[in-house]
Amino acid sequence: MSLRSGVATFAGKSSYWFLHTFLHGGSSLPGKITLKLDPHILRSLGAKYDVIVITGTNGKTLTTALTVSVLHEKYPSILTNPTGSNMEQGIVTTFLNAQRPKTGRPLAVLEVDEANVIKVTKYIQPKAFVFTNIFRDQMDRYGEIYTTYQKILDGVALAPDATIIANGDSPIFNSKQLPNPIQYYGFDNQPDRDFKAKPNTDGVLCPHCQHILHYHSLTYSNQGKYFCPNCGFERPELTYRLTKLGEQTPTSSQFDVDGHAFEIHVGGTYNIYNALAAYSVGRFLGVEPQQIAHAFTANERVFGRQEVIDVDGKQVTIILVKNPVGLDQVLHMIGTDKQAFSFVGLLNANYADGIDTSWIWDGDFEQLADLNIPTFITGGERYKDITFRLKVAGVPDDKHIVEPSLEKVVDRIKEVPTDRVYVLATYTAMLQLRKILASKGYIKEGLGV
Amino acid sequence: MTYTLNVAHLYGDLMNTYGDVGNILALNYYAKQMDVKLNVKIVSLEEDFRAADFDLAFFGGGQDFEQTIVAKDIQTKKAELIKFIESGGPLLAICGGYQLLGHYYIGADGEKLPGIGALDHYTLAQDNHRFIGDIVIKNQETGETYHGFENHQGRTFIGKGERPLGNVVSGKGNNGEDGTEGAIYKNVYCSYFHGPILTRNGDIAKHLLVAALKRKFPQDDFSQQEALPIPATF
Repeated sequence: MSLRSGVATFAGKSSYWFLHTFLHGGSSLPGKITLKLDPHILRSLGAKYDVIVITGTNGKTLTTALTVSVLHEKYPSILTNPTGSNMEQGIVTTFLNAQRPKTGRPLAVLEVDEANVIKVTKYIQPKAFVFTNIFRDQMDRYGEIYTTYQKILDGVALAPDATIIANGDSPIFNSKQLPNPIQYYGFDNQPDRDFKAKPNTDGVLCPHCQHILHYHSLTYSNQGKYFCPNCGFERPELTYRLTKLGEQTPTSSQFDVDGHAFEIHVGGTYNIYNALAAYSVGRFLGVEPQQIAHAFTANERVFGRQEVIDVDGKQVTIILVKNPVGLDQVLHMIGTDKQAFSFVGLLNANYADGIDTSWIWDGDFEQLADLNIPTFITGGERYKDITFRLKVAGVPDDKHIVEPSLEKVVDRIKEVPTDRVYVLATYTAMLQLRKILASKGYIKEGLGV
Repeated sequence: MTYTLNVAHLYGDLMNTYGDVGNILALNYYAKQMDVKLNVKIVSLEEDFRAADFDLAFFGGGQDFEQTIVAKDIQTKKAELIKFIESGGPLLAICGGYQLLGHYYIGADGEKLPGIGALDHYTLAQDNHRFIGDIVIKNQETGETYHGFENHQGRTFIGKGERPLGNVVSGKGNNGEDGTEGAIYKNVYCSYFHGPILTRNGDIAKHLLVAALKRKFPQDDFSQQEALPIPATF
């Protein structure tokens, strides 16, 4: 380590200690201070680690947490970054905060924001990249899916020896020729058919000849066993295959990968993709399938986002929704519940929610009308938008309560005829609701994620 | 239902950003209340659009890349689309769809891409800037106020024979300069509005549906449909 890096590291570490001890915080400021003193600090900080970079638009956080769990089965020392610290400063802070391991070469499993991959690979040669997926975000942060993927590739170009472990069901990850070794994971559990994705699906153009892709099978959005009837472009050979999809409920999923049975205690097909990614990294680094199965069930905490809150006897599950693909997945997931439930939709349009509410029209709320839900409640600052969305989806007025105030939404939840309640909320609506629930003593203060 | 209208969803599998498909859902919602059944068909790449087959058309916005592909393909549908428009066919075009009905637009890499020139507008780009935000406009002829959300890099200038959909009350509109938003030509309604436009402005959905009904069933009386109350949704 150079003198400059040494000084910078010391300054960063002391600021972390100060912030952590006296202010109970410090997620990115130490990194900021260190980077100011030595912009190239990641070179010396990261040199001692085998680094796995996990990136993509959806599922980074859970994939990272699951991957860490899986790798812990074989590797004692793993460094990882906490949620939300996936940009350069947060990553530097993560390294600064690390305990130096006594023996061996430690692993670092890092969730990295798509545009920040290049800021990592400028200084660190990762052992592997994981590409989860690229879906359009309603916030339009980096624009189109193609722009987002290019940002990732700009970073990958500096690390041509790193193995890419990519979602093989996502056509975009097979669109460019890369020098890196590549392994794909995906779903291979259905007989071949020939059909197109739903009309309102993003990213269905063949990257080579710009015809509309067809599918032999499809999981959701544009993910599946795709092929181009015009030029022969098709899903690549899978290294890691989901061979069987068992029972799915809102709180569990059973599936086989490469012939081995797995269970995760969380619902949603998107979470099976996250688990499949973690499995692939585990196998890549020599973790046995039995160990992976153990890791999947042993770390319930990883799935902490879907806690159930008891509100005077009602079991209330709050689920964050932020883009159409995620929304559709959540709607599908709650639809697998065998018990009757009530549905609450809370919509805000502050910056953190996305200031354009148009995206709710890309969500398939129509599937709710078939589910025999006795009560719907809509609320939040943009209650008019979500109310009309449900009306158009076929929710009848006599089952539909419109309640802009979240305080009163909580009162209404107590009156619904079902024991179970699903609340789908955008980010700031979720925070506001949690605050109200905390003030009434139903949960402890804080985000709880 | 008594009436059936055939709707072309132009490039619905490629031009579908920002919930624009909600316009089809809203059309269906109001059509049902007017005793009208809609048959919606996507007309996409390498498929023929025949003016005689359709009573109404919708053309949404898309991502830059998809729009360049559509810009090429739509030239094969140009003659029939112009025939549809000139014969009074009702059409709603949003964002990229709006741009492609005009003479040309400037793509993301600065390239000038031709539209079909069915309407007399053209679209320039702005460097590293987009008009993003809530927008309110007022149509001077009907007195109706429309609400939407705009998110566009293009700056469109309407031409002869086109009236604006409305004058900007707040927001940027077509180009941020002349205070206009959108365009109306015959029964064609163009706009940059997402939201989607018909979910927040049911009056426009009604205008489109009534125009389609009158054109297809010239002998029938649609005063009841025209009187359909449209409660505010926004």
